[in-house]
Amino acid sequence: MTTEQPLILVADDDADIVTLVRIRLEAAGFRVVTAGNGARAVDAARSERPSLAILDAMMPGLDGYGVLAALRADPELAAMPVVMLSAHVHADDVGRGLEAGADEYLAKPFRADHLLEVVRGLLGR
Amino acid sequence: MDTPASSALWRTPLRGTAAANAFVLLGAAATAVYFVLPPRAQAIWYVLIGAAAVGALVLGPRWHLKADRLPWYLFAAGIAAWVAGDAIFDYYDVQLGREPPLPSAADVLYLAGYPLLVAGIIVLLAKLGVIAGRIALVDAAIVGIALGLAQWIFVVDPYTHETGLSLNERIFGGAYPAMDILLLAAFAQLLVSPAWRLPSYQLLMASFLSVLVADELYAHYVQTYALGSWIDVFFLLGYVLVGAAALHPSMATIVARERRAAPRLTTARFLLLCSAFFAVPITLLVERALGHRIHATLLGITGVVLAGLVLLRLVGLVRNEERARRAERQARREAENAQRLLGEQNRELREFDRLKDEFVSLVSHDLRTPLTSIVGYVDLVLDDPSLSDEDRQYLAIVARNADRLHRLVDDLLFAARLQAGRLELAVSDVDLAEVARHTVETLRPRAEAAGVALQHELAPELNGSFAVVGEASRLGQLLDNLVSNAVKFTPEGGHVAVRLSRPPGRALLEVSDSGIGIREDERDRLFERFFRSSTASERQIEGTGLGLYITKAIVDAHSGRISVESEEGEGTTFRVELPLAEPA
Repeated sequence: MTTEQPLILVADDDADIVTLVRIRLEAAGFRVVTAGNGARAVDAARSERPSLAILDAMMPGLDGYGVLAALRADPELAAMPVVMLSAHVHADDVGRGLEAGADEYLAKPFRADHLLEVVRGLLGR
Repeated sequence: MDTPASSALWRTPLRGTAAANAFVLLGAAATAVYFVLPPRAQAIWYVLIGAAAVGALVLGPRWHLKADRLPWYLFAAGIAAWVAGDAIFDYYDVQLGREPPLPSAADVLYLAGYPLLVAGIIVLLAKLGVIAGRIALVDAAIVGIALGLAQWIFVVDPYTHETGLSLNERIFGGAYPAMDILLLAAFAQLLVSPAWRLPSYQLLMASFLSVLVADELYAHYVQTYALGSWIDVFFLLGYVLVGAAALHPSMATIVARERRAAPRLTTARFLLLCSAFFAVPITLLVERALGHRIHATLLGITGVVLAGLVLLRLVGLVRNEERARRAERQARREAENAQRLLGEQNRELREFDRLKDEFVSLVSHDLRTPLTSIVGYVDLVLDDPSLSDEDRQYLAIVARNADRLHRLVDDLLFAARLQAGRLELAVSDVDLAEVARHTVETLRPRAEAAGVALQHELAPELNGSFAVVGEASRLGQLLDNLVSNAVKFTPEGGHVAVRLSRPPGRALLEVSDSGIGIREDERDRLFERFFRSSTASERQIEGTGLGLYITKAIVDAHSGRISVESEEGEGTTFRVELPLAEPA
């Protein structure tokens, strides 16, 4: 009996980036669920119960921080590791992301191998 | 009038005082010589001294003034009238051996001289702004009337009552002291004006004082006066001093002084007004004490007029006070308005600053997102093992350029933040040797691609590691900038060396290359924002002119120093000195 591969939620309003991340994660053996905005990301997190979420910080409507807050407020999802992706690279922005409760903060553009390294690290694999 | 010409005169330096000094010295000598000459020569000498004064009064203003010469010309005319009077008087005295008849042409000229001098003083005072306005005129009237009262009662009136004088003698003899009243009143105004601080005006006042003394003495000793009398000392000095006043360059200074609406109530002015106010009772007391006939009607009328004028002056003072208060309120309102405006502008500037930051971060965000896709998908395709070598080569070019764009966005964002004064370091002990090793290894492929040998030399005493206090990523950025530059500016076949050593108390990082070098005249500007060397532009070597600006900012933030040494065509060495971490 094989253990089911971890499910990862990828949320970004930029479809190209969602696709890119999905391809990389699937190639690395993960299952992926995607969302094009914050509200869908929260819905997907509740219905799919992913092992980890990769959230774009800046999305129209509910942004990455909003999604993060919703996850942390939900007792069943509060422990989910979250990687924040952002085009804001300054130390202040990174600080804000980590303070908001993200486990990792990656600046765009990021390298695929680095993202995979971070995801594996957070999942303890 | 503050015309451009007179403003220029305001700046005339006090030079050329030699002419005035020489005039005083020669005049004093000429006055001394006068007393030892025979009578005929004395007469000519006397007129010559007077004529010299007239010459000086015409010449002085032409030298020193471009405008406002009128008062000095009036003085010249007044003195010229006196000198002409002297000539006629002396003609009778020396040539005809008798005094001129009374009245003679000499008397007419003498008496004409006074109003001209007084007019000169009045015009001068008007130009100084001293008698601009009603208050100044009231002051002049108060002082003039008080002086006139004393002069009339103690000098003119006794003279007109002198027995043994003809009617003409009484009238004309009394006319001189009467004219002195005018001169004295004008003189008093000059005395309370700010002009007396300047040498030219001091000479002018000394001259008038000398003439006034001479006149008073003459009135008392008229019977015994003859050419060569000691009284002439004062007349002659009067001529010499007025001439010197006109020659002294400080005469130009005061003409351009700013006008005031009303004269300031200085202590001198206040004392003068007080003594004028008490002129009537004091005169009364003195007359009583001396046992003179008391001029009750004259004193009464003068008392009433003076009281009226003082009242007018008081009204003026009160009005001035009210005006000043109004002006103050107005000024305060304006200051408050200005402050409010400044506050609004500050708010606008802060808002503008915020918008700029927002813009920079927006642009940065909007560039990074597409870059993520470009870099990510190119990498994805490059991972495909079935890719042809040619395609791989092309995609590597895309990747390299995307990387360049990425650096550019980073540099622009960093420079914008530096401009806003925000380079805060997250400091810790950093192993500079490790940073150098990492940078060199990262850049080695680029150096190899450019055909440049990249060496890394660590001084043996460093034992392979070496700590400074700083932010590792910023120090890496610093070194990356310097080494990238060195590789970029070194032609194929050259070499770049990174050296690390520890001179006493500091860490020394050197990046040398065998590149094209930097022109001497451009070395000072290397660390300016957006500066690009002319060779870089000519050879179309890519760059934004931000790298060294950022490098210097990082060095500064670490309390370090950066310097450059370069030889055109030979190479360049950048030296960065950083303080060492305190040993634990």
